[in-house]
Amino acid sequence: MTKSTRLVQNLILLVFALYALVPVYLVFLAAIRSEADLFSGPLTLSWPINFNNFGRIWSEAGFATFFMNSVITAVSVTILVVLTAPLAGFAFAKMNFRGKEALFGLFLAGLVVPAPSVIVALYGNLQALGLIDNRIGVILPQAALLMPFSVFMMRTVMQDVPDELIEAAVMDGAGLFKIFLTIVVPVVKPGLMSLGLITFLFAWQEYLLPLVVFQTESLKPLTVGAASLQGRYGVDYGGIAAAGLIAFAPLVVLFLAMQRSFVRGLTAGAVK
Amino acid sequence: MLTTRSAYLFLAPSLALYLLFVGLPILQIFGFSFFDWDNGIAGDFIGLANYGRLLADGVFWTALWHNAIWVVLTLAFPLLAGLVLAAILAERNASVVRWLGAIYFIPRTIPLVVAGIIWGWIYNPIFGLLNFALEAVGLGGLAGAWLAQDNTALLSLNVVGAWTFFGFCVIIYLAAIQSIDPSLYEAASIDGASWWRKFRDLTVPLLRGSTLFLGLYAAIEAMRFFDLVWVTTQGGPGYSTEVLTTHIYKSFFLVGDFGYAATLSVVLLIIVLSISAGAFALLRKS
Amino acid sequence: MTLSTRRSLPVLLAAGITAGVSIQTATAQTVVTQWDQFAMAGITAAGPAMDELIGTCEPDLGGATVLRTIAPSIGIRDSYRLAVSANKTPDLAYTWPAASVLAGYARVGALAPLDDYYEQYGWEGINDFYRGRNSFDGAIYGVPMEQDLMGVYYNPTLFEENGIAVPTTYAEFQAAVEAFKEKGITPIAFGNRDRWPATNTLSLLLGLTAGKDGEEAVLFGDASWTNDQFKLAAETFQSWAKNGYFPKGFNGIGYDEANALFLSGRAAMTITGTWVLQDMARGASFDLGVFMLPPIADGVPPGTMWGEGSQWQVSANASQEVKDATAAYINCLISPESRKVWVEKGYLVPIGTTPEELKQWDTLPIVKSFFTQGLATSDANFYDLHTTLPESVTQVLYPELQRLIGGDVTPDDFLSAMDAAWETAIDNGERWVP
Repeated sequence: MTKSTRLVQNLILLVFALYALVPVYLVFLAAIRSEADLFSGPLTLSWPINFNNFGRIWSEAGFATFFMNSVITAVSVTILVVLTAPLAGFAFAKMNFRGKEALFGLFLAGLVVPAPSVIVALYGNLQALGLIDNRIGVILPQAALLMPFSVFMMRTVMQDVPDELIEAAVMDGAGLFKIFLTIVVPVVKPGLMSLGLITFLFAWQEYLLPLVVFQTESLKPLTVGAASLQGRYGVDYGGIAAAGLIAFAPLVVLFLAMQRSFVRGLTAGAVK
Repeated sequence: MLTTRSAYLFLAPSLALYLLFVGLPILQIFGFSFFDWDNGIAGDFIGLANYGRLLADGVFWTALWHNAIWVVLTLAFPLLAGLVLAAILAERNASVVRWLGAIYFIPRTIPLVVAGIIWGWIYNPIFGLLNFALEAVGLGGLAGAWLAQDNTALLSLNVVGAWTFFGFCVIIYLAAIQSIDPSLYEAASIDGASWWRKFRDLTVPLLRGSTLFLGLYAAIEAMRFFDLVWVTTQGGPGYSTEVLTTHIYKSFFLVGDFGYAATLSVVLLIIVLSISAGAFALLRKS
Repeated sequence: MTLSTRRSLPVLLAAGITAGVSIQTATAQTVVTQWDQFAMAGITAAGPAMDELIGTCEPDLGGATVLRTIAPSIGIRDSYRLAVSANKTPDLAYTWPAASVLAGYARVGALAPLDDYYEQYGWEGINDFYRGRNSFDGAIYGVPMEQDLMGVYYNPTLFEENGIAVPTTYAEFQAAVEAFKEKGITPIAFGNRDRWPATNTLSLLLGLTAGKDGEEAVLFGDASWTNDQFKLAAETFQSWAKNGYFPKGFNGIGYDEANALFLSGRAAMTITGTWVLQDMARGASFDLGVFMLPPIADGVPPGTMWGEGSQWQVSANASQEVKDATAAYINCLISPESRKVWVEKGYLVPIGTTPEELKQWDTLPIVKSFFTQGLATSDANFYDLHTTLPESVTQVLYPELQRLIGGDVTPDDFLSAMDAAWETAIDNGERWVP
């Protein structure tokens, strides 16, 4: 390609890299500032750098608790999904049964269901089950909402398992569940890993469901805690920024560490 | 392929969770919409009265219009950007691809609630970065209250939405491009085609499947997103960023009118299902 | 994932679930759940006072302890509504508003009637007006404690430096604003991104154009919103916005940001209320002053917006023992001794505080000044829209008001929209009348 084309291309790549990173950088900057810097321009850096905000937010504002809650919920949802979705994916990919098309269509329909629509009725159900202000009241619905995507993804992943492998095991007389555990799971382990990572990401980011179900402060996750800071801490931008960082830093680290696995999971189904 | 009845056992756990916490509520909201509710307690049966109210509800139509605009904006900007970026990256070396791909995707890992807070600061009329930057380069006249004027609020929010979405488009398109036969490009180069020509005549058509997938994904998300608007403008100023989900939320949580909220939810669901069904029909044809 | 890890995962999950569930049951027996808004900063930041008073008054609960959830002022209103619909309200809540919203909760049976306790403890400091505001269908459901006034906080230093005197008439007020504009100083710090601050401003303007009588004609009588006096208020508000009284882009500035603008000396005045006294006092880089906004229309007496803040309410689902204990606890919280703590430690002047007490107690001059000025006109003081309008009308007021002051809708259209929402609410039986 010509030099000018390449230059233009590099410019485009750079502009979008800035677009992606500048807001993140701003949060870093804000998190190490103090309230007094509020009107002194968004890019000024107070010297020496102070990390007080993180300490304050972690202990005084209760973000240590919020962090634990996010971890507990995200891990629980992930476990639940990883234990159930692969089974369904395997059934859709490798088994024939009555109503297969219809049931899969049912799952697909769930891909587009908007969360606020569900919550209008779900709230009353959770209350009837005594699950308001209870972790289960968030974990189970979140897993359910993630089920369509997970089942869809697992079906795609399972389709890659060679039929011969399964047929051989069947002929050896092994039970289906045993075949699943001993033959299929090892083959799709990377796919399961991707599913776990993506589920964890989505579960951590969830806002509306915990906002509505949790009443007690000590149960709330990072997303709800960070949003509520705006009301409680006013213009303490340093604190709010520190809170925001605590809320997303783990996800960024996780993503960077496991990038390939994430990408594989996200593209499964899109490309096919 | 196995033919087996124990398939139902394999399906049971996922299906049970899904039906209980998603399927059942969906059925219920249909029922709810036919009643009159007060502060969360069900009252009299009123038939289709809520639906009549919806048709006459100016806020509903405004919100729907905003969702539609959001769909178009998302298709025009982040989708297109993702396509171009992926096409450029496809020819670069592997570590550049890895790093830039990661950078572009990082906004997607940030919870929308936090993204809303960050961008709220960028857009702040008094000490936000955007106005600060405009003034620094002498374009201070363009500085405004981005989230506070009803002609810029929705657009400004969309820039944030695009920020979280374009990285995902890059990843999807990149994976698809990597499965295109390189000899096609070599042949075109030999014919003297410029990069841009190859992009337009080869890449774009060959990626139709991914474009359809991303387009559908974008359209569905554009109909059902909530967090971003709620943490920034809550539908304001006035109604300029009101979307269907904020209208539902307000009816449900702030006014306590469960019946009307259910009605809005039913209509939103029907819209979203129609779009998907239409897109699937299109996908099947191609 | 190896097989052994897969087997232990369900066990871990079950353990986690059990732990979560058992924590719920253990606390339900010995605890009174209390929701309040008394944070350490922000609106109604009487946190230090509440903390001290929990220590003083908890013994009156007869052995039970208080499990406290602090929620910011706006949030607690929404949380409580959700709790009502889930039938899972806290035993005791200090929330707002009263009047029609409280009546709504009482109507669906979420609240415990408190008439017996009023008799038992003789809460005379709460006059008939307040009792009325907290009643529904002949029974009382709330114990109001807080009173809020509105006024104009101002920066005396800026006024002096620029040779501007504290206005005593509306014309002087306008002149002062123009003078500040000329000097390049933002006259009034105001931010309506959160949508509720403008409602307070409108409450003040309505009272100074229509007066208490004019308001009562609409709010409790048959008059329509589209009357001349209300129109004057709407026009005034819109003209303030158009004529640069507020910072640029005010519909996108948060309430706390606007206050910060004022407190850092970058704006001459801000029009808000006593609920934020603590933040104001703490954050000001100068000696705060306050004056009452003069009447705008002819023939309207001086007065200010006088609202009853939040009230204590008790859940209908609480056991009789919990209710009795809670009543004793409330009695302690509103006692004269406790009032002193509220004033001195919380910058909150409870209902029933006499001017003499206020003079004697140890609190900031700004607190004394604000309440003395505001309560001097108690006969003419008027209503807080936030605590008088039904929820459905408030949700229409918020966006319509943003449009009015944004210049996107005429005062006539604004008032018509409000009247339409008002009529609908009346038809649905949501209106509260004294």
